[in-house]
Parts: sequence; structure tokens; C-alpha cells
Amino acid sequence: MFAGRLVATVLGLLALNSAVAAQTKDTLVAALAAEGTVLDPARYSAGVDQYFIGQMFEQLVRFDPDLKPVNWLAESWKIEGTSDKPIIDVQIRKGVKFHNGDPLTSADFEFSYERLKDPKISRWTHLQANVEKFEIIDDHHFKLHFKAPDGDYIVGSLQLWAMPKKYYEKAGEDGFAKAPIGTGPWKFVSRSIKEDLKLEAFEDYWNKDARPKIKNLVLKIIPEDLTRVAAFKSGAVDWVDAVPLSAVEEIKKMPGVKTFTAMAPNNMYIDFPAYKSDSPFSKLKVRQAVAHAVDVDAIIKNVLFGQGERYTQVGRGSTGYDPTLKPYAYDMRKAKQLLTEAGYPNGFETPCYNLITPREPNVKEMGEAVFAYLGTVGIRCKVQGLEYSAWINLGRRGRSGPPEMDGVLMWMWGHGLPGDPATSWGGMLHSFVQGKGFGSYSYTNDEKADSMVEELKGTMDPEKRVGLIQKIARYKHENVLGGVPTYRPVVTLAWRDSIDFRAWPSPGSWRAFQEVSFKK
Amino acid sequence: MSVTSAPTPVTAADAPLPFFVRFRLKGAPWIPILILVLVLIAAVGGEGLTPHDPNGLNLGAAFKPPFWQAAGTYDYLLGTDNLGRDVLSRIIAGARVSAIVALYAIAFSGAIGTMLGIIAGYFGGIIDTTIIRIAEIKMAIPGLALALIFSATMDPGLSTVVIVIVLTYWTWYCRIIRSEVLSLRERDYVSFAKVAGCGSITIFFRHLLPNIFNTLLVLMTLQVGQVIIFEASLSFLGLGIQAPDTSWGLMLSDARQYITYAWWGITMPGIAIMLTCLSSNLVGDWLRDLLDPKRRQL
Amino acid sequence: MKAIFAKGLLNAAISILGASLIIFVISRLSGDPVSLMLPMEAPQSAIDALKQELGLDRPLWEQYFIFLWKALQGDFGQSYRWQMPALALVFERLPATIYLATAAFAFSLVLAIPLGVLSAVYRGSWIDQIGRIIAMLGQAVPSFWVGLILILVFAVGLQWLPAFGADGVQHVILPAIALGWYPVAAQTRIIRSGMLEVLDSDYIRMGRSVGTPERLLVWKYAFRNALLPLVTIMGVYFASMLSGAFVVETVFAWPGLGRTVVEAVFSRDYPVVQAGVLVTSILFVLSNFLVDLSYSIIDPRIRL
Repeated sequence: MFAGRLVATVLGLLALNSAVAAQTKDTLVAALAAEGTVLDPARYSAGVDQYFIGQMFEQLVRFDPDLKPVNWLAESWKIEGTSDKPIIDVQIRKGVKFHNGDPLTSADFEFSYERLKDPKISRWTHLQANVEKFEIIDDHHFKLHFKAPDGDYIVGSLQLWAMPKKYYEKAGEDGFAKAPIGTGPWKFVSRSIKEDLKLEAFEDYWNKDARPKIKNLVLKIIPEDLTRVAAFKSGAVDWVDAVPLSAVEEIKKMPGVKTFTAMAPNNMYIDFPAYKSDSPFSKLKVRQAVAHAVDVDAIIKNVLFGQGERYTQVGRGSTGYDPTLKPYAYDMRKAKQLLTEAGYPNGFETPCYNLITPREPNVKEMGEAVFAYLGTVGIRCKVQGLEYSAWINLGRRGRSGPPEMDGVLMWMWGHGLPGDPATSWGGMLHSFVQGKGFGSYSYTNDEKADSMVEELKGTMDPEKRVGLIQKIARYKHENVLGGVPTYRPVVTLAWRDSIDFRAWPSPGSWRAFQEVSFKK
Repeated sequence: MSVTSAPTPVTAADAPLPFFVRFRLKGAPWIPILILVLVLIAAVGGEGLTPHDPNGLNLGAAFKPPFWQAAGTYDYLLGTDNLGRDVLSRIIAGARVSAIVALYAIAFSGAIGTMLGIIAGYFGGIIDTTIIRIAEIKMAIPGLALALIFSATMDPGLSTVVIVIVLTYWTWYCRIIRSEVLSLRERDYVSFAKVAGCGSITIFFRHLLPNIFNTLLVLMTLQVGQVIIFEASLSFLGLGIQAPDTSWGLMLSDARQYITYAWWGITMPGIAIMLTCLSSNLVGDWLRDLLDPKRRQL
Repeated sequence: MKAIFAKGLLNAAISILGASLIIFVISRLSGDPVSLMLPMEAPQSAIDALKQELGLDRPLWEQYFIFLWKALQGDFGQSYRWQMPALALVFERLPATIYLATAAFAFSLVLAIPLGVLSAVYRGSWIDQIGRIIAMLGQAVPSFWVGLILILVFAVGLQWLPAFGADGVQHVILPAIALGWYPVAAQTRIIRSGMLEVLDSDYIRMGRSVGTPERLLVWKYAFRNALLPLVTIMGVYFASMLSGAFVVETVFAWPGLGRTVVEAVFSRDYPVVQAGVLVTSILFVLSNFLVDLSYSIIDPRIRL
């Protein structure tokens, strides 16, 4: 008993110690659930990499907290040239400096372009595939010549990152990896893998309106939910990412705590081989039955503790969102009736594939629940769990080797948040075309959908895109193509109310510390 | 971890048995035997015995505590998990998986290991050297690491788990049986049989196999617990049994994220593992003492 | 002696070489990692280009020899995920695992030594029975479950100790207990039987008859003798803990080698898997080799 108390006292002191350290405030300590792997924008591979990169590096265009695109490092830009060979003409902001004091010039963007299209470095070369050449007009003016129109380029914030050509050539590949510099509000200090990234505010940051007013920022990596929450509760960290679903209510009720509910840029949907004529899912009525059979709202409430947002084709906040488009209502009887009409009065058996790696919170349970609902109307699942790599390999079309997916597949793909769903529609709605980059994960084959998606890809005018997206969404919805949309995960960020924090959606999906300060 | 090549774990056989094990009828550990019989009944009876469908979702009944707690009901004796599935039913369903894995894994690793052990011990020379060398190479890779890479390579699931366990444990049988055969080979009656012109196969079946039978039986009983723990560890890491099948390790893995407010989720399947392993170890000890009291160092 | 040493070293080298082949072949049999590394909308041409860049388009045997040749020079390739040398990542994570294994080992000894000694001295008493029960329980529960229960009781319930991470001394306590629990059984047994053997020997009896205090006899003379067999199996148990760390580190989010390898297995990060498992194997083989060597030094009749 005594020993126990002694241990408790000692540990209490230790905890107190760290709390006191956190009180001396010119440092903000934030806890992230996931870790970026690389600190080089040309080498980034997954969205999570931007949690780190986004603090130090910047792009030409950026989405503001209201999800509106604003010119960022670009002072202005316009599209010229012909409609089949467009040119993007960019004027860069003057007076922008890298962390080492070098001024930002057109050459830095050319350098970025060269690196992003080099398959030895970049995993996103396909984004630059339509660019024919990069032309420097002067230090603050350049033109991108396209061989074909490319709408994705516009939605992707003009795809290029400001990378310091001169510094890089001096420091070399390794030197840059060890001490990266950009134009962003935070300067690199040190990094320890699986532990933290330490940053310092950049004095000469160009944007005087939207900038952090804190000297130091420490991004700690705490993947374990319990620990991350405990660290926030004890005051060891001031800001916490991805509050676990089951703790959201509790944290929201905590006094002196502010929260922000962010939409995670990932869309979950139930896909099936609609393109295979011998599959029951090639019949519209069967697909409609699936849409009616699953009570997505109940699943969100119970499996996700309410931490998910239902979407219909295009989610709220994405370009082309159409509030008049409503999801299919949960209606078991109607689903059964549709199955009977389709010729399956006794239902049928099908393989069902579930992702068991927690890429988003509770996806495995989500899948189990969906399959159980399908079972209630007669679509009987033979469930197979897949971990992430098996899942992504099964989903990909046109691979040599393993057989193609032949049943119900729980799938997820971000539909542009911020941005629009054009890229993912090209991959999951457009039919699969070997070697063209269309339909890499598509189980749909519909000519009209194909032509509309291609039209969208070739449309660079933002206004025209909105109309087109809404048209496609309605068509996709009515014909239940590209799967049945379910929900987008919701992420809760929390911080002490001694801090002013405004979440910017990108880069780094709401984790950018662009506007943050301690209250006076 | 039990999944390494550490020396054969044996309980302190020469210590006096605690009171609850001392309760024996004609010397048999009846309680452990009873527990094993219950597990077997659960395994054979399967879904016929479960009060609820082990995979039946009931989102409204999620996180019901066991019956003795205020919010618990007799409908779900050991509570429910995050999807409202009955924990007791899932434990019963999990017993089936454990039993199947144990049966196949022990049969195959025992058969392969024994065969190679006899061949190595009986023939000696280059055959012996080769077999022992392969066993040593296998043992250079930490048991769980090998299992990890292998299960990630194959489609995870019941058969992969069995293969992984066989790959891990054959060396265990091989080494022990080999040394057994080495000592038997020198015995008079084997030499005599050889002189009398019996072929290798005759000697093998008539003289060697019966003599190592006891050892084998004990080894196999002791392996039950280890197999169950191994399977649970793999399933816990997500590389073992996959839904919709269920296993005790998988239940623990699923329940882990709700540890703060559903303590029964991680407690109950663990107790099932513990009781089963404890029982098979005690029965194994008992068999060993019964069949060959001299060989306590097994 | 020299010959024994050389032969043992050769055997160890062959084992490690064989292990490297097994690890390589098995890990490459699985699906290729390239579609995991690229964004979903990447076209096939980008996948093929990356495959070529990583050398994954060559025949397997050729890949193995390239791997082996580079590995001999200490180059296990770049981690696909972290884009840094795989071996550097492994060495960065190794100290945490060794720290944990050492703490776990210390815990097991702290429990096993008094338990073993006391059960021998008070043979048949309640303390002997407790020793027996602990031994039986230790063999019957998976270490990850011990870990979960420790978290439930000490981190969630009593809130005495942190459940996850590796920030200070208090973080190592729970994982060390979970990992150190298993060998307690065998260690207790070895100490107990070693003690029994000595306590029954003539010279202790003689000491007793000339009136040497019992405490001195037990701790100074008997215990010292019982320690010897324990020392000889220490290496094996230490090595087995490196392997046990694979699961325990995952339970406690301990930033060690085990967890790194488990994550790498899931993300098909071959270079890290290969470097991590091979480094563990080398530690494993070397500690076994040292144990064998110490055997033969202590007891020259044993040949390697």
C-alpha cells in the first residue's frame, strides 16, 4: 500500500514537471496522430506527408478556411492559348523569401516542376504529364504550356511547390533532406522520426495578415488514441489532432477547450462489379437495392459514434456540391422488392471484401455492419478481410496476377476536399482503360459517364466545371454508378482556449498552423 | 513469448501441486480435463451451442456489460462488443477455431518433425547434418518474425496460421525425437534387429515408433497451449484469423481500442485462453509423470 | 578452444546466410508494394517506372544477389516509406528495444531469484506453491494479454502509470513486466532445482553441522552455485525477448524495432523488414553462440 502510494507520488511529480515546462509559453506543443514521412514536397507520397510539409512549404494557389481558392504565392494567373493547347500564365508575388533569405523566383518553380515530373524522385509524375514545357518570362513571370487541357491542374492548386533551387543545389539531396527550407510560416529546426518535428516561426514571412504569432511549434507524434487524449487532458500538449471517436463528446464538454470538427478528405463507398454482365450488380435494380438496404445513418450513429457525415456523390464543401441531391432512403422492403424484380426473389450469395487496416477510424466495423445490412435483404456476404496492401492490390484494375475483384468491396477515395471530385471520378467512375490512366479502380462501364468524365478532365474553366460536376453527380446517383456513397469521416481537433487557432484546409487537411497565437 | 525457440517450457513439476490441482481422482487432474472437454464440446457443437449468432450485429445492444453489473442483462451473460455481438457466443465460436488450429498444427508439425527427427537420428551422417542444419537456420530467425513475414505474404486466415505454426514448431519435435532415437539406436534390441536382417522400415515401425510414442504424446499435449497462444498473438497483430471467422486473439485485438470503457472485451477472451492453456499444460505434466516419470526434463 | 570458436562462428555465419535467403524469398512472395506507394490515380506507366526504379522488375534470384552483395556492405536499401536508409532506421530503433528487453529481463530476475531461492529453502510451503502457480500462469497467458491487463489495471483503472509511449522511466515499467513475465517460470524452476541440489550437498550439511548461520549458507554458498545454470541460459532468454518485443511493443506503442518491423510488414516496406529481421536474427544467433561458448568454457566436455 505504502509502496503504491510512493510510486503514485513520484509519478505525480513527474507529470507535474512536464506540465510546468509546458507553461512557459512561447512554444505550442501539438499532438498529431499520424506522421509525415518525408520533408520534401517533391517526394511526398501520401496526404499525411503534408502535415509536415504544409507548415514549411507553399503553393501558388491555396484554399482559405472557407474552402475558397485564393492566390497565394501567385499574384495572379490566367489561362490563355487555345482550348486544346492551353497555357497557364503566372505572375509570382514579389518580396517572398525562403528561410535562408533567398528571394523566390520563377526558376524555383521551374526546379519544382523538373523534380515533380522526375520518376526517380516523384510519385506524382502523372500530374505533370500534360505539361509540355515550362517557360520563364522573367524572375516573377512564367508560363506553363500544355499539350492537352488538364482540369486537374487547376483543382490541384496549380500543382507546383515553391522549392529553393539555389539552396538545394548547394546542400544536395541529403543536405536538403536534413535541413529543408521553404517559404512557409515555419522554419525547420529538428526532426526525430516517430517522435516529433520542431519548428520556429519565420521572421521574414511574406504574409503579414495570416501568420502565426508564436515563436516555436512542436509537432509531437502520438499515434495511440488513449495517450494522445491523456496528454491533452494533462496539459502536456496544447493542441490535439484526431480525438478518438469515443472521446469526442467528453472533450467537447471539457471546460477551457475549443474544438473544430473537420471533414476528413476521404469518401467511403460500397462498390461492386457493375461492369461484369454476368454479375447481379450489372442490374440497376440490384444496385438500387444495395442503396436502399443499408441504414447508413444508424451505422454512423452507432459504429462511428456520430463522427461521420453522410454524402451524396459530392460532399459539402467540395466544388459542385448539390444540396438538392438526397441519398437513397433506408428501406428494407423496397430493397427486397427491387431484388425480386431484378430476378433474385431469394437473394444471392456474393464475396464481400472488407478493409481491416484502420485507415480511417472504425472502417472495419463499418464494413461488417454494411455486410450485415446487406444480409437482411438477401445479399448474403461471404466476408473476406483484407489488410491494406491486399486491399489496394485487389481493387486495382488491369494488374497481371491475382483475379479481379468479384463481389462487394468497401472502398474509399477522397473526392476533393478542398477541390472537386474529378480526379477520383476519373479513377472510379470512368470505365477502366488500360494504359490511359482512366478507371484504375473502377467497376463501372458506362459510356455516357465516360464521356462526361473526359469532358470534365478537359475543362479548365472553374465555372463550367461546377455545372458539369453537378450533371455527372445526378447521373451517377440515378444510375447507381461508381458504387453507393456512404459517409465521410469527421475529424475533431481540440485545443486550449488560451490559444487562437484557425484551421486552414490545405495543405495538410486542416492541420496547417497558419493562423495561431496565444491570447493576451 | 512462447513462440521462440527458448528451452521447452515445463512447469515446476517437482514442486507439490497447489490444493486445487491436488483434487484428483485416481491421480488425474480432473478440473483441467473438464475444461478441455468443455472447449472440445464448444468446438464440436459450434453454432448450435451459442446463445446468439456470434456474428449477429445488434447495434442497439452495443457495449452491454456482463450480467452481474448494473447495466448487464442475462441475455448477454458476458456482455457485448462494440457491434452488439454477444461475447460468450463469440468465445464459443472462437473455441472452434482454436481447436481446429491446434488439431491441424499439432498433427502436421508433430508428423513432419517426428519423421525428420527419426530419419536424422536413425541414419545419421550427411542426412542428419543436413536436417539439423536446416533446423538451425530456421531457428536463427526469431519465431514470431518468421510468422509475421509469412502471414503477411500469404492470404491471412486459418490455413495460413496452421502453416506458420507447423513451420515454427517442426524443429521442436525434430530435435527432441532425434536425440531420443540416437539413444534408442544404441540399445541392444535395435542393434539385434539390424543384425537379424530387419529392413529399415521394419525397424522404424516396429521398434522406433512405439518407443517414442510416449514422448510424442507428451510433447503434443504440451504444444496445445503454445499453439493457442501463438494463434492468439498472430490474430492480435491482424495477421491470423480474419473476420467473419472469430478467434480469441482477434476478439482481443478488436476490443483493444475500447479498453477504457468495456473492460470485459479484453478480459473474457483472455481468460478463455488462460484456462485452456493452463489445462493443457497441467494435463501434459500429468501425462508425462504418468507415462515416464524419469523424463522430467522434457 | 580456437577451433571450437572458429567452428561456432562458421555455423553462425551459415545460419545467418540461410536466414537471409528465407527472409528475402518469403517477403518477396507477397504482392508488390508499388501500388501502395503511389497515389490511386497513378497510371500503370508510373507503376512500371517505379518498379524499374526499385529493381523489382528483375528476376527474384538476381534481386537476392544484389540484396546480399549490398547487405554485406551494410546497405539494405532505402526504406520505401521513410525514404531513408533502412539500416539507419533499424539502428535508430534498436536501442529502445534493447532498453525494453533489458528492463524486462531485470524484472524477471527480480521476481525469479527470490521466488526460486525461497521455494527451495521452504520446499513444500505456501511460498513454494505460489512459485508454482506463478510459473503455471506465466506459461498459460500470451504476453500481449498480460500487457492489456496491465494497461487496464494500472493505466486505465488506477492511473498510476502511462500506457503508451517512451518518454521516461515510468513508461518502461508496464511493457517490461508484460515482456518479462514469461521467462519467470523457467528461471524460477532453474534456480529452485539448482538450490535444491546444493542445499542437499555434503558441504552445506557440513556447514550446518558446524553452526554456520542458515542465512549465510543459503545466500552466500548455495545461491552462488545455483546462479551458474541460470547464467548459461540467460542469453537464450534475452534473445527470445527481442522476438517477444514484436507483440509487446505493438501493445504499448513502444517505439522500438519490433513495432517498426510490424508496421513495415503491413506497408510492404521490404528493405526495413529485411534489415530489421536480419539484424534481430544476427543478435539471436550471436547470443546463442556466446551461450554455447560459455557452456564449453564452463564445462569442457561439451563440444559445439
